[in-house]
Amino acid sequence: MSSETEGVARTSNTFASDVWTNFMRWNINAVRNPFVVISSLLQPIIFLFLFTQVFGNVAGQALSGRISYETYLVPAIIVQIALIVASSSGIGLVDDIESGVFQKTLVTPMSRTAIFLGKTLSELVRIVVQIVIVLALGVLLGAEIKSGLTGALAIIGVAVLFSLWFLAFSNVVALATRDQESTIIAANMIQLPLLFVSSAFLPVNSMPDWIQVVATYNPITYGVDAARAIMVNADVMEVWNVTAFGGIWNTLVPAIGVLVALDLVFGAIAVYTITRATSADVQ
Amino acid sequence: MFDGDMSSYMTDTDGTTQGDHAIETDGVEVTYSDGTEAVRGVSLSIPRGEFFGFLGPNGAGKTTTIKTLATLLRPTAGSVRVNGFDVESEPRKIRESIGYMAQETSVIAEMTARENLRFACDAYGVPKTDRSGRIEELLDLVDLADVADKQAEGFSGGMKKRLDAAMALVHRPPLVFLDEPTTGLDPKARNRLWEYFEAINDDGTTIFLTTQYLEEADYLCDRLSVILDGEIVAEGSPADLKREVGGEILDIELEDGSDARDRAADIVREDGLFSDDPAVDVTDGGISVTSRDARQRGPDLLVALRDAGIAVTGFNVRSPTLDDVFLAITGEHIEDDLPDEPGAEQATGETPAAAAADGGER
Repeated sequence: MSSETEGVARTSNTFASDVWTNFMRWNINAVRNPFVVISSLLQPIIFLFLFTQVFGNVAGQALSGRISYETYLVPAIIVQIALIVASSSGIGLVDDIESGVFQKTLVTPMSRTAIFLGKTLSELVRIVVQIVIVLALGVLLGAEIKSGLTGALAIIGVAVLFSLWFLAFSNVVALATRDQESTIIAANMIQLPLLFVSSAFLPVNSMPDWIQVVATYNPITYGVDAARAIMVNADVMEVWNVTAFGGIWNTLVPAIGVLVALDLVFGAIAVYTITRATSADVQ
Repeated sequence: MFDGDMSSYMTDTDGTTQGDHAIETDGVEVTYSDGTEAVRGVSLSIPRGEFFGFLGPNGAGKTTTIKTLATLLRPTAGSVRVNGFDVESEPRKIRESIGYMAQETSVIAEMTARENLRFACDAYGVPKTDRSGRIEELLDLVDLADVADKQAEGFSGGMKKRLDAAMALVHRPPLVFLDEPTTGLDPKARNRLWEYFEAINDDGTTIFLTTQYLEEADYLCDRLSVILDGEIVAEGSPADLKREVGGEILDIELEDGSDARDRAADIVREDGLFSDDPAVDVTDGGISVTSRDARQRGPDLLVALRDAGIAVTGFNVRSPTLDDVFLAITGEHIEDDLPDEPGAEQATGETPAAAAADGGER
């Protein structure tokens, strides 16, 4: 792109530097808002404590004693963290739109893709950091990662994979409403009920039939099942009875397949929405 | 204040990609999807180095035009060249070579003043070796050196505006767009910003400024275009526009009803108190007389009104405001409640005339 003969001094931007610029911007943003970061970590931790204390005994029986409720619950809490941080993505975008900073970045020569990629990477880093904290805390509370350190890394990978579709969804809602409250409400409204009607907190088999149906079509089930399968190193999927791949893969292959498909669909919608919002087309 | 080599921006290197115009547009139209024709055939030709003013009331199409020039909106029809680049095919080259300060102040609240400027340097790809020096220079320019490491969140409106302005200048653009930069600022903060704008213009930067205030345009601009309902209705230097108005304005408030107002207007027209042929406008509470010797002959008119038995409750001689220019050009007053442009201009809650009048006696 650069040409010495042009009258205007060419800037030294590259795609990578644009990504880095936005990545660091959002990192600073997170560090300067410790309250937001801490409270987004606090809710899942409270859930972890309360659920294990309140439901621990009862749930332990439902699990027929093979694994502790702590071990059972940690994957659900990890998925919850991914949901909460991912939903903050759209909130950050709306903030930027409302404050005019969004437009300000659009009028710079930075790559549009890099602007969103940098922001997303910063959010994924937050997800990873928070999951590491919760995994450590879970182990302290008595949860067991049967697949060891490799398993812990794989769980983080599953959480990132899971977070992407909700991150995309959150940005689509943000651009559709362009309103902070609506974005927060939309994210919360979906998040909590979906957690309950999934395999997150209790075995699906112990729930009424209609919830089993909802859980089958609930993305959270697949995120939790994939993380849980790695956590206990076994086939834990209840909503489908897959036997083709053997052992843990009977859960991982279908669950990850569903997550990848969700990521692709929501990602495509988000890319379309963002492209529209950042284009100069008169609307 | 910029000791950098502005000439590298100013000179044609090959004589074809860039003319001597910072902005050239022809018949620009912008129609929103709801059918609103925000801009209807605007043609502009702004030479390099000019301090150009784009004047108009809320909702006239100022922000839509400036967004079109800054590559944020694609024109529905017409052609736009900025710094020699076509807005449709070379938007990125335009973005590299312009500074844009939006109407709504936008700084990153979580960052300090210095971090905001560093972000802008990164965003505009200012060469790494130049960044620190450039940032210090701009902090000095906008008087924020003392608070450089404080978070922008706690800044006053004026400080945020100044930081915002500095962020638009980090890459030393040869052309800067300022969209109502002083709306909502107190006079002191406004005067300070004016100094900065004049300083960078003196250094050779072309400035495209939109404003509702005739006084601001008068003070800063070499040349003006007046836009109303998406069309340019007048062009010229501030002096030209004032001449259109034809002098100063004597506002007289009358106690009695419309009958007294009409009689007072007749007295102005027929008594020959004023040497020129004054324009008389019957307003809600009295009359307004526009004349070159409104100041000198005003007292005589007041006496004549008293002799005719018309009770005067107040009077004031003032410089023409934007409203007066509009009245002279279009024969209509600016409506205060014009609808906002969709997604563009915000109502300021301030009528242009009132705001312009506060400095009218300068």
